[in-house]
Amino acid sequence: MCCSHSFEDRKPQVVAEAMNLDIIKGMKFFDPHVHMSSRTTDDYQAMADAGIVALIEPAFWLGQPRTGIDSFRDYYSSLVGWERFRSSQFGIKHYCTIGLNSREANNEQLAEQVMELLPLFIYKEGVVGIGEIGFDDQTAAEDKYYRMQLELAKEAGLPIQIHTPHRDKKKGTQRSMDIAIEHGIDPKLVIIDHNNEETVKEVLDRGFWAAFTIYPFTKMGNERMVEVAKLYGSERIMINSAADWGISDPLAVPKTAALMKLKGISDQDIKMITYSNAIAAFAQSGQIDQNDFISPLAVDQTEKFEGNTVLRGGQQPRTDKSSIIIS
Amino acid sequence: MFDYDAERFRVLITELTRSNVTTETWQWLSDKFLAPETSVVNSAFAMMPRKTGKLPLTESIELRAEIEKLKPGFILEGWTIDRLSRLCLLVQLDATDKAKYFKTIENLFLAAEIQELVALYSSLPLLAWPELWKMRCAEGIRSNIGLVLEAIMYNNPYPFNYLDEKAWNQLILKAFFTDKDLNKIPGIDERANAELAATLIDFAHERWSAHRKINPHLWRLTSKFIDDNLLIDLKRVFEEGSLKDRQAAALTVYQSDSGSAKMLLNNYPELVKAIENKEITWSSITPEV
Repeated sequence: MCCSHSFEDRKPQVVAEAMNLDIIKGMKFFDPHVHMSSRTTDDYQAMADAGIVALIEPAFWLGQPRTGIDSFRDYYSSLVGWERFRSSQFGIKHYCTIGLNSREANNEQLAEQVMELLPLFIYKEGVVGIGEIGFDDQTAAEDKYYRMQLELAKEAGLPIQIHTPHRDKKKGTQRSMDIAIEHGIDPKLVIIDHNNEETVKEVLDRGFWAAFTIYPFTKMGNERMVEVAKLYGSERIMINSAADWGISDPLAVPKTAALMKLKGISDQDIKMITYSNAIAAFAQSGQIDQNDFISPLAVDQTEKFEGNTVLRGGQQPRTDKSSIIIS
Repeated sequence: MFDYDAERFRVLITELTRSNVTTETWQWLSDKFLAPETSVVNSAFAMMPRKTGKLPLTESIELRAEIEKLKPGFILEGWTIDRLSRLCLLVQLDATDKAKYFKTIENLFLAAEIQELVALYSSLPLLAWPELWKMRCAEGIRSNIGLVLEAIMYNNPYPFNYLDEKAWNQLILKAFFTDKDLNKIPGIDERANAELAATLIDFAHERWSAHRKINPHLWRLTSKFIDDNLLIDLKRVFEEGSLKDRQAAALTVYQSDSGSAKMLLNNYPELVKAIENKEITWSSITPEV
């Protein structure tokens, strides 16, 4: 019967969960991988509203290759300068990791100069690791600069944030871990990023931190993430948005927390996955003080003396989005 | 090489730093003083807060007063230990090779994060070869980072002593545009000039047209340049302004040499009295935010 058949056809397959973050109201989130330089102030506001209190911006490539060392210097310096300031205006504590990304490791002439530049930046305040480094195409040059940066991290006593490749992911992930072990790096100082169902078990079994990127279409969706959390629990697992200039979602962490809550994951586990674990991993740098963001009014000592308001430097005033008047 | 007693300053700042850090940190830091390699200076400068912490200075108020006497306008108010230690490291640098000295410090600027910029800019008045840093200082004023601007503007006598008029005027305009405390800018009244006054008056007119508030301190910089047009503006402030605006207008007129402007004060004997009793001063007028 055609009619009943077509009726079946029209039945909605999945009811999308309506966007409602009320169930996670009051929770605090830490997004340990998000490229804010490519995001807008609207994103910062939405993130602050959704409970994100701190984030880490890893150094990465800019969508097209840099052609000179000064571009690297200006980029690193913006991560500890302008972007950090911009973030502070929305009440979000901004940290970063500094490193030579895998794609640009393939420009060896430039890569050599970047290696000379890195020591100038990795010891700076709020630099919580070397990252994101690792493999993209898994070339010899990538291998070389990955190893050099592992040595640098070892010398500086910093955690390492590892980007795992899109292509040939499983082998690339294994290889990243093998090399870290070969260089005598303690797995508890290493955050393996962009995991999926295929890589997570080995990463956890070998004692590394497993980070998952909730990124539409190309990486993990958050329903899959809920299943991972059910299967593996919350120990050494964290999620991030890796939001950048692509179609991505800077609210991935709070949205996934909301979905976990809906699906019956405990508050304690949600907190570990969306907040505490990232802090525990990156605080090994000695550069994260939870007091900086645990209460919205607690700011850096240096930002509250002289009896001046905590919003000095000018926290951004809000525009009234419900009105057509702009004043 | 220096425009102040740098020898004495180095001794005192070294002593003040030593008294604010632990023995272990002091050992680490003082080890770096004699290092000839720029890379050692670079990493020590970057690593400073990891070693010293970031708390406000607690020790040796007397020593601070003595230090501030050596460089009029320079005040350690609100300084933290890491900032002081960075200054301490900078004043140990060998400045005899002018080009090398400049390159070392300029490279610190180029790679600096916010707190490093704060330390570097607030150290400008104490560096060797003061003429060398004019461009750097003018560049700093282009920053949009509040803390960096404050490091250049507040308790920092370098701009007052070395910036040319154009750069100085930019600093003052920027101070108004970013709601800074004008009382903390050394030389603010001494460097008032006709060009700046004209620009500020235009700015005041813009604010009026936009129905926005005007920082009452704006008028103090017009005091020496009162003409008929400005008199009309000041009358408007007296008639329409808030209490603070009227106090500021009264002070402006009181401090001017213009006879016709002083006539205005005849209508406001109570303000004149308060000024004579020092109840109204520029420090007492805090802008409403």
